Amino acid sequence: METLRFLLKKLIEDRVALLGALLILLLIFTAIAAPFLATFPEDIAEFHPPNRLIAPDGTFWFGTDRMGSDIYSRILFGARITITIAIIAIGVSVIIGVPIGLIAGYYHTWFSDLLMRTSDIFLAVPQIVLAIAIAQTLGPSIENIILALSATYWPFWTRLVYAETRSIQKETFIEANIALGASPIRVMFMHVLPNISSSIIVRTTIGMGGTILTAATLGFLGLGAPPPSPEWGRMIAESREFLPEAWWYATAPGLAIFLVVMGFNLFGDGLRDILDPRIRRSVRHDD
Amino acid sequence: MRKITSSRQRVSIKRGLIPTFLAAVIISVTALLAPINAVHAKNTFVFANASPYDTMDPQVVFDVGRVAYRLNLYDGLLRWLDNPPKLNPWLAESYDISSDGKQYTFTLRANAKFHDGSPVEAKDVAYSIDRILALKKGASSLFVKVIKPGSTKAIDNRTVQFNLNKSSAIFLATVPEIHVMNSDLMKKHEKDGDWASAWVSKNDAGSGSFKLKRYDPAKGFLAERFADHFMGWGDKYLDAIEFRTVKEINSRVLGLMKGDFHGADGYMPQDQIKRLMKSDEVNVSEEESMRIFYFIIHNGRSPMNDINFRKALSYSFDYKGFIKDILSDSVARNPVPLPNNIWGAPQGVKGYTYDLDKAREHLAKVKEPLREITIGALAGYGQTEQAAVLLQSALSKIGVKSKILAETWPVASGKMRNEQQMYDLLPLWKSTYYADPNNWVGEMYYGPNIGSRNNSWYQDDQVDQWITEAIGSTDQAVRAANYAKASTKVMEDAGGIFVYNTKWFGPYNKSVKGVRFCPIGNAQEMRWVYFE
Amino acid sequence: MRLLVLIINRLLWFFPTILGLMVITFTISHVIPADPVAFVAGDNATNEQIEALRAQLGLDRPMHVQLFHYILNLARGDFGVSLYTLRPISEDLASRLPATMELTIVSVLVSTLIGVPLGVISAIRRNSFLDHVVRVFTVSGLAIASFWFAILLQLFFAMELDWTPLQGRTSGWGPEHVTGFFLVDSLLSWDLSELRAAALHLILPVTTLAFPAMATIVRFTRAGVLNAMNSNYVLYEEAMGFPKRVIIWKYILRNALIGTVTQIGLIFGILIAGAVVVEAVFDWPGLGYYAVQSIIQSDYNAIMGFTFVTGVLFIIVNLLVDIAQIFIDPREA
Repeated sequence: METLRFLLKKLIEDRVALLGALLILLLIFTAIAAPFLATFPEDIAEFHPPNRLIAPDGTFWFGTDRMGSDIYSRILFGARITITIAIIAIGVSVIIGVPIGLIAGYYHTWFSDLLMRTSDIFLAVPQIVLAIAIAQTLGPSIENIILALSATYWPFWTRLVYAETRSIQKETFIEANIALGASPIRVMFMHVLPNISSSIIVRTTIGMGGTILTAATLGFLGLGAPPPSPEWGRMIAESREFLPEAWWYATAPGLAIFLVVMGFNLFGDGLRDILDPRIRRSVRHDD
Repeated sequence: MRKITSSRQRVSIKRGLIPTFLAAVIISVTALLAPINAVHAKNTFVFANASPYDTMDPQVVFDVGRVAYRLNLYDGLLRWLDNPPKLNPWLAESYDISSDGKQYTFTLRANAKFHDGSPVEAKDVAYSIDRILALKKGASSLFVKVIKPGSTKAIDNRTVQFNLNKSSAIFLATVPEIHVMNSDLMKKHEKDGDWASAWVSKNDAGSGSFKLKRYDPAKGFLAERFADHFMGWGDKYLDAIEFRTVKEINSRVLGLMKGDFHGADGYMPQDQIKRLMKSDEVNVSEEESMRIFYFIIHNGRSPMNDINFRKALSYSFDYKGFIKDILSDSVARNPVPLPNNIWGAPQGVKGYTYDLDKAREHLAKVKEPLREITIGALAGYGQTEQAAVLLQSALSKIGVKSKILAETWPVASGKMRNEQQMYDLLPLWKSTYYADPNNWVGEMYYGPNIGSRNNSWYQDDQVDQWITEAIGSTDQAVRAANYAKASTKVMEDAGGIFVYNTKWFGPYNKSVKGVRFCPIGNAQEMRWVYFE
Repeated sequence: MRLLVLIINRLLWFFPTILGLMVITFTISHVIPADPVAFVAGDNATNEQIEALRAQLGLDRPMHVQLFHYILNLARGDFGVSLYTLRPISEDLASRLPATMELTIVSVLVSTLIGVPLGVISAIRRNSFLDHVVRVFTVSGLAIASFWFAILLQLFFAMELDWTPLQGRTSGWGPEHVTGFFLVDSLLSWDLSELRAAALHLILPVTTLAFPAMATIVRFTRAGVLNAMNSNYVLYEEAMGFPKRVIIWKYILRNALIGTVTQIGLIFGILIAGAVVVEAVFDWPGLGYYAVQSIIQSDYNAIMGFTFVTGVLFIIVNLLVDIAQIFIDPREA
């Protein structure tokens, strides 16, 4: 409780991080309340060809798309897709990556080396390249995007947890626990993990931003949700055929991606400052 | 925090960069001020093409997107010209057909030469057809069933004789696809029995109106006028043609409006055509083409094997909304699997309309249980996605659930051959490969073609009988009647959802004259074109 | 001696990593559901035609046999032929490499030339207005979707203002081929109009590609300078009365630059990943564009070739950075 209050206080002091938190809250709120906020909620599955490509006005706040649907309403529903992809993909990556990192970090055997080298192989190819290859292989769908992202992102957590575990191992309280005969699993999950959790939380927050960007890129390349899904990357891809006349078509979804990713990045930076004073804000996350 | 900065230090930081920066500025300014050399000779026609020219081998591809090098660098014995398309003598000055319809004897022109100056002879024609049959690619599927490798004989230098297994009414229509290659040159470059494929994928062994000068798979090709071409040249012509790959549609449109490109493909979205029509640089010429848009229905699978379900589908497409609103009336409604403007197309057929009440009526009669159906779409082809989405939205109103799967053309074309993998529905175009009604209804709904060119798993004894008879007959009246009957029957059976026939909107620079449109080459044969 | 052991240890892992990479790319690409052979064979091909081609390409053999042959061929530098054009992949990759290299190198130069001074200045004048502007700028650079940014640039600078070309690498055929780098080749042949065309065509893609890389560099430089400024050494020198200018140049900047250099691996990763999308938007005839095309065509030989070459380049860069790091700061290793 005490720590939570401390966190909140710090957060309110750091205005930039607060802005990030607000952007994230806005995304979550939008995703939940989409049906109430949308001016034309039925436009997700219903189309009005006579209304196509109308510029933003009082009725269609962000204009209409190639099928005559309201872009504003579609953006709101797109938030649901974005947040689902990000949460599941990151969740799976953490579930895979963290235990592997713990094991590799805790034990000092050839097996640790093997685990780390395997994760290095995945890191050897730029994430987007591997994700594209996997997503194309599995066929375009949201499920497959999530799979492709999870399969390519887990090594980041493995690396982080591995490094942190190795450095914390030398601390006396860990050595004391081992000397007292605590089982390795117990030491790993009860002592090591809580002590490195702040790094994991920071990494995960910032990772959300990167994942949303990659997911949108896959959508843009046509590997994501099928039409008529209001996925943001797909909307931008659709708009290209109608530029420059329909300038509004790509504007709203691009701005939405930008704000959401910025929200996670700013919040992650702020969290890092608060939770992990050793590291300076200015050090960049790595993806 | 210690403040360790002063104005002097900032100056010093800049000082280090100044020389580099200055050098960069000088180079850029010189470059920017440099006169723009006319990169192209004045009389070079630059065409912006959407598909990349991956190869220069005329016998391995058979698509409309890359037709330019086949038509301009190579000649066939006959050639399709104009609209409606007419079959003209080309390398051959005349031909004879034996009374049993199996032997075709062509007499070659005396003055035809390849680009290296050697004469075009009968042995080259025989080599070319044998190469097509051996490579089994491109247009070979038109010939494998009727011609045996080695059966084509060079009687003398100027006489070549094709010996067919069985008489085929469409053979003549497919002869233009036999692009004649210089056999002596090809044999010189042959490696490990590859029919010189490696060499000719980047080089030219033709006799066509233009001669390959430069080729880069990432950019396109440049070809110069072949002065010795057998057709001769009038007093107005192009010195060179350049076909450049420009994938992005906006770049093609902008380039046309700026005058960088003199021509581009004629099947752009209507929104872009409207933009071009407003430009002072561009003329858009309009022609009725032969390229129908339809949904393949998988007739072999439940519940689409029930005619009532197929009729419900056909009543559920908003033809008017699609043609009028989404395509701005740039296409014409075409209710049967034959373009309206080809001979044999049935006249006065009404076809289906968008009528959800009738759709519900037919749906009620479906005996098998309904399920969620899969509608395919071709990723990157916006129109197919829009058509699929429109159908999906109407189907949901009559209680048929569906999901859309937008996949790339290679994925889709693979699935189209597999009864299990094929989508329940797939919207796409059928272009003119040869101007004969058989190209459409005869390929798409003929029983023996199931799994290859019949991707609907549609089979009807009567339709098969009409088409078989039409292929075997040389009497055009009989053939026309049979194709009309067959296509009407397929429509009545709701074998597919037939939507429209395309119009061609060819954008050309205003100084360009002499463009000759034909649905087979889409006006990409450049020998008659000139600048005013 | 310890250094040598560390280096050898790194080197020993090089080949297993590459082998692992081959297995991964092979596994991914060989479960592709599409049937590329049907596509290659053409629109109107018969099933016999397709089977014949499949046999010709060796795609009818069992998976493990195909993998074995693939590794064997790779060892001989043979990437196989493109399923689509039937040309050797190595040839395709080689012909497209200079375009990507030119784009990447210019982007590295631009992002470093702008990013390092910005980072230094914003660190020196910490919390000033300028520092805040730079921070907004870097945060944006890392949050913006490059494909969207590219489209905005096209919309504004190419379509609205008509200052730059919309796409492509040059307006004609490019300068006479010497190195494959258009900027260099046009200078060598002193073809100024080609130089101009090449430079103009570079502007938008480089801007798109350099933006996130620059943001990274700014952040690292800024952090490095701040760290160095607070180090005991600098405080000591300052107390000794050394001119501040000398301290900044001699110590702070040098350290900050070393920090940035060790991040080259990371920046290279950002650029290669960015190139895939940027080249696709700008029709830039490089490796990234080739990769996207191959994916669309389900040309899995080509996809494997691209992924493999990128992976190997990336592994080598990281290996060199690792080794450099061992020399610069053995404690870190």
